[in-house]
Amino acid sequence: MAKAFSSLIVGAFGSQKALLGSLAKATPLLLVGLGTVIAFRAKIWNIGQEGQVLAGAMCAYWASLWIGPLPYLIAVAVLVLAGLAGGGVLGLLAGVLKTRFGTSEIISTVMLNYIVIFLLAYLLDGGPWMESGATVAYHQSPPVNAMLEWPTLFGQGAAKLHFGFILALGATALSALLLERTPLGYEIRAFGSNPTALRFRGTDISRLLLVVMLVSGALAGLAGAGELFGTSHRLRAETLLGIGSSGIVVAMVGGLRPSGAMLAALFFGALKSGAIYMRLQSGTPAGLVSAMEGLVLLFFLCAAVATRVHITVRSEAHA
Amino acid sequence: MENLLSVQNLTKRFGAVTANDNVDLDVRKGEIHCLFGENGAGKSTLSACLYGYYRADSGVIRFKGQVAELNSPADALRLGIGMVHQHFVLVENFTVLENIIVGSPDLGILLSKSAARRKVEELCLRCGIELDLDREIWQLSVGEQQWVEILKALYFGAELLILDEPTAVLTPQQSDQLFVILDGMRRQGLSIILISHKLREVMQSDRVTILRKGKVVATVETSTTTAEAITALMVGHKVTKRVSDRSVTPGREVLVVDRAVAIGEWGEEVLCDVNFTIAENEILGLAGVAGNGQKELFEVLMGVRTLSSGGFHLNGEAIVAPTSREMLDRGVGLVPDDRFREGLIPEFGIAENLVLGWQRKPEYRRGPFLDRGKINALAAHKIDEFRIVAASADLPVERLSGGNAQRVILAREFLHARGLLLANQPTRGLDVAASEFVYEKILEKRAEGFAVLLASEELDDLLRLCDRIAVIFKGKIMGIVQPGETTLLELGMMMAGNASNLGGQVNDFSSKALRQ
Repeated sequence: MAKAFSSLIVGAFGSQKALLGSLAKATPLLLVGLGTVIAFRAKIWNIGQEGQVLAGAMCAYWASLWIGPLPYLIAVAVLVLAGLAGGGVLGLLAGVLKTRFGTSEIISTVMLNYIVIFLLAYLLDGGPWMESGATVAYHQSPPVNAMLEWPTLFGQGAAKLHFGFILALGATALSALLLERTPLGYEIRAFGSNPTALRFRGTDISRLLLVVMLVSGALAGLAGAGELFGTSHRLRAETLLGIGSSGIVVAMVGGLRPSGAMLAALFFGALKSGAIYMRLQSGTPAGLVSAMEGLVLLFFLCAAVATRVHITVRSEAHA
Repeated sequence: MENLLSVQNLTKRFGAVTANDNVDLDVRKGEIHCLFGENGAGKSTLSACLYGYYRADSGVIRFKGQVAELNSPADALRLGIGMVHQHFVLVENFTVLENIIVGSPDLGILLSKSAARRKVEELCLRCGIELDLDREIWQLSVGEQQWVEILKALYFGAELLILDEPTAVLTPQQSDQLFVILDGMRRQGLSIILISHKLREVMQSDRVTILRKGKVVATVETSTTTAEAITALMVGHKVTKRVSDRSVTPGREVLVVDRAVAIGEWGEEVLCDVNFTIAENEILGLAGVAGNGQKELFEVLMGVRTLSSGGFHLNGEAIVAPTSREMLDRGVGLVPDDRFREGLIPEFGIAENLVLGWQRKPEYRRGPFLDRGKINALAAHKIDEFRIVAASADLPVERLSGGNAQRVILAREFLHARGLLLANQPTRGLDVAASEFVYEKILEKRAEGFAVLLASEELDDLLRLCDRIAVIFKGKIMGIVQPGETTLLELGMMMAGNASNLGGQVNDFSSKALRQ
């Protein structure tokens, strides 16, 4: 038991290599978490992050196939935009279903997850993106063009941190500014509290909902593109699945604040990274970390309820 | 007459605030006993103690002569004390009968609706309530929903019924119906505690206990006193009621509504052929029983509901397919009747609510960001100017009292509106002093040259404030009258659907509505 935990900690923070691995794991969680924070603050329940992460990766992969020789930085920028667009369009689609037909975004985003997952399965399993020359279907694409891999900040080989981490930090600052300081953020928070009053007070709430779904999906899409071009270099469902749902947990545990999401992403990134080492050292299944993720979320939700009860008692006291 | 309930020396403190200070109260069997006082006088706290929601810090509550230990509402219910809250606690898509019997201890596992139905029908008969027990709650009017709450309390065996501001959500006619029902209950030997700050309701009770700042000022027999005396006891001084300055006469026309027709959700006409104008320096009153198209009319003028035919002009320009954005930009101010739903963001503080609708205005921005400093300074200024009582400008407005929340809306609208002010029930739920504050501000705007549309159920107030009064009934304007040349009686008849030129013949319904 003690050995498992100590190896978990060593695996997460024990060396420069471990630390870089933790930050690399935290990067996509943070991006998805930020997108979730923005949607959930508006009480728009986008839970299609899994699909949006895949869509971002797929869109960026597709872009990498047809972009010709471009200066390196421009090429990377195109891939970033493609990642944002892939996730954003999928989010927007759920938004349109809501504003046009009144479909609950909870249903539509989950259903779109399945469509995207099976589309990817088709493309990789006998479809046009399958790795050629293999006699067995590997359910993965060939490696991406090495010229298009995202720049590395620190480290090398298996333990390196790509520049998506900088993007994620930048996105954290921008999300915090957006929510707390801009008129759009004001509208997002107001929408979460009372959309009727917002509509009476001159805001086109359908448009706002579309903007929120677009931004929320785009951040998840960027996470997917970063994983593909910064870490895995091959399009594989296994490396991408789970990021979306972990990102939702990150947002919730982070108290629906960008800064909180950052701390939560670092925590869960460290857990995921340490889990690999823990399995090697102590034989403890890495799946335990997923269970811990769930438990942490449960405890945070219970704590949130408990705080609310506390506040209610005090506010009565002042009534 | 014996005392059903007797309260001695009840004190309830919240931190440093003493909400109830040595309160004594006796409620006799078979009486309507009114608790009267301004917002924050301690009426609601007292009733919450009687209902077991709060525990009194000291004092004795006796019910039927026995000392009552009230630790929870369940204790109160068991003893026979029932409460009807201002906000109903009903299941929208259950039927009336289901709502009444849900939670009943003798329900068992299998619903035996037929026995329950007989019991409820008998209760209805005894109290004179006419209600189809099989309709679902959402199909009922607000007044009918309240009857369900009352029936529910009676079904549970309440002998003392506490009604917390029961008419705050009712039309005058629904209020009158409620009092007929309460009267029937009194005759059955039931006792009623009525919390109110409306004088005309107080005058229909048997006795009234007046609270001021947590203390009982007096308990008087209603028949031996006057409304003026009670008001003076409540506020501690005399209240001057403002009237419109008739020397200022209306100028050019600001708003012209021309044959406006709007269709409701079920295809019914909610506005039919509505025509009126409002000029500068003019307050046009809109009298009518709630639910006769007032809300829809305000929604149309605010750009959140579309007309199916007809239209309106603002400052001489035809307004075609407006949005709420356009109407705000054209200088229209709206004080909505449901202030927390349509006028405020409950989780936002006063500062942020003051710029709601104007959050993108360059004035409140520095580059792409909201200018927090400027908005907070504005809030500090408005809290002062409108005498808003709040711990801080960041306190979520959902924690403000109704009167203070309304002041936040007034501050915002009076700051941004230019030329036209739409006020729908601006004094609903407010006490006398707070209402006068609202009227004072509206009269100031009239003097500045605003055109004002003022809908209210307080006909006396309309008569003293308005330049003209339009009466709406089932979406139709029944007529537009001059306050000096009309009486309450005539207004009431028009509100009940009779055209304005009817003679002295008065039907039973409207005369009852206007007895006060």
